[in-house]
Amino acid sequence: MGAIEREPFKWHSTVSYKIIDKIVTRGYDTTELVEKGYGLADVIFINFQARIPLVKETKMLNYLMILCLEDGLSTPAGLSRFVAKGHTFVTQSVGASILAFGNAYGAFQAYGRMLDKYLSRAGKEGKSLDEMAEILVKENNGSPTLGVSNLMLKDPAAKRVFARAESLDVAGKYIDFQKRIVKAAQKASKEPVDLDMLGAIGATMFDLGFSPESTWAIIAITRSFGCGAHAIEEEEREPRVLFGAALTPKANYEGTPDRPVPPLKDRNKIVRPATSKTLEEWKKNFEEMKKLKGSGFTLVEEIEDPRKLPKVKK
Amino acid sequence: MNRDPVIQRKTQISYKTEEKTVLRGYNLSDLAEEGYTFCDALFVLYQSRIPTENEEKMLEYEMAEFLEHSMSPSAAAAICTMGGRPQLPAAVAAGIMTFGSAHGPGAAHGYMMNKYLERARVEGKSPKEMGKILVDEYMDAGRPVMGLGQPQHIHGDPRAVPTHKKHQELLGGGVYLELQLAIEETFNSRRVQEGKRTLAVNMIGAGNTALAELGFSPNAAWAIGCIVRGFSCACHAIENMKRGRAWMASTEEKMIQMLDLSMIVYDGIPDRPVPAQGEREEYARKELEKGEYKRWAL
Repeated sequence: MGAIEREPFKWHSTVSYKIIDKIVTRGYDTTELVEKGYGLADVIFINFQARIPLVKETKMLNYLMILCLEDGLSTPAGLSRFVAKGHTFVTQSVGASILAFGNAYGAFQAYGRMLDKYLSRAGKEGKSLDEMAEILVKENNGSPTLGVSNLMLKDPAAKRVFARAESLDVAGKYIDFQKRIVKAAQKASKEPVDLDMLGAIGATMFDLGFSPESTWAIIAITRSFGCGAHAIEEEEREPRVLFGAALTPKANYEGTPDRPVPPLKDRNKIVRPATSKTLEEWKKNFEEMKKLKGSGFTLVEEIEDPRKLPKVKK
Repeated sequence: MNRDPVIQRKTQISYKTEEKTVLRGYNLSDLAEEGYTFCDALFVLYQSRIPTENEEKMLEYEMAEFLEHSMSPSAAAAICTMGGRPQLPAAVAAGIMTFGSAHGPGAAHGYMMNKYLERARVEGKSPKEMGKILVDEYMDAGRPVMGLGQPQHIHGDPRAVPTHKKHQELLGGGVYLELQLAIEETFNSRRVQEGKRTLAVNMIGAGNTALAELGFSPNAAWAIGCIVRGFSCACHAIENMKRGRAWMASTEEKMIQMLDLSMIVYDGIPDRPVPAQGEREEYARKELEKGEYKRWAL
């Protein structure tokens, strides 16, 4: 096969470049930005959306970021503290805290994609937003990404977010739709539920123009500033943990009872292979493995049905 | 729903009830309602105090400036991680975790400054005098002085001197700036005497000095500096996710991709046959005796 002439590797980016004398994001020299009084929230808009935000948008983003800074001893803080116990760099602790964000905790990507999907369906199916909100609630019953739950029944912070967005005149279609989802969820639920922080912060971020992915990242990073303090406090107040030091009491163990290790020479007589020769055998093995916690057989990730996906032109 | 804390701890940072989340005594929602900025809240978080307006402005300046640095180890790590198509937080975390003893060594610089400032206090010297001592001690020992030089910005980091100026303008200087400026002056005087080119202050020297002057501990300053870069790392990772190819190795692109097989230069042990199991013990014993493998062992 003959050699094909190809351009050597270079970093391609629409986000930023730097040369010896300056760093440029979305066309703006970063030093010029700060010299002219633009702040952190402004640069986040520029970095992610390639635009200077309106002052009211910057105010709203600052508001949201303050709310996301701290969440008490939740999973990100826990992770950050656990990592700090090994006397690591603080960068490892805060990095670990970001890994807590998934499809349940801080599920801003999943939540945003859900809103976009149903907003799009409302247009295509000729349904009102109220009707589509009811469909969304029905089809996502029990989902952690509704933006509605029983978490904020006594804390007004979530509802204050929408009130602030409206007073700043930055509320748009996402806040409007989320309010309808809240109403639909309240109608469908026997228990009291209300707007939660996922719905309040997520919908407002989308109305500020951030994508679900950007929102997910920005909020996770914002939370990690708080986790830095947790990591530092852990180092200051709690003992370090050494390799092999932590014990797990037998009282906490619910697995196979203690048993002798079989002689190596006997293993082929004792061991049952996992290979299934028939589908019935496979199913039986699969169901059996579900009883073994930690094996992962009870976890099912939804895989999209390719028959239901729009065709991609090649 | 179980709402117990993930871990049991006494903490001075925050508490959270069904009614409110409280950070260092302030209701977080009230802080936002009152119009404080995120940078204000960082002072509350790490120092348990509301900053002055100028302190808030200085932190805004520094974080906004530090957020994006184009292709540095952090952005590269975020992009490479996203090449494997994990969930986005993994790429962001990878970007932040690149910050260590070479890339943005903020905490180490802070510890160095604190140590020498304490010595100045105990020995009755000014920060300026101690800056000279610090440089002499490091250079006499043949050790690099933190906060100077940057491999990409060979004429000096374009953000660093403006940061010093803004530091002077907004905070009116302070012991950290006095020490840092003395370090830069002495360091470059010695470099010139030794016939070497001067090295300008970098963003650790300038930015971390300002963060220290703002009252942040070395680790808090480091956390702030490296996490703020996480925002742009996320942006680069999302760009790869939405516009780039997974794996970054496709041979169908006009440009050779980062992980194209042609990018590999192997200069290790030449290809060699795998010994049969029957010859293994003898083969392994000879390898141990010859010791050639030590040249390659890492």
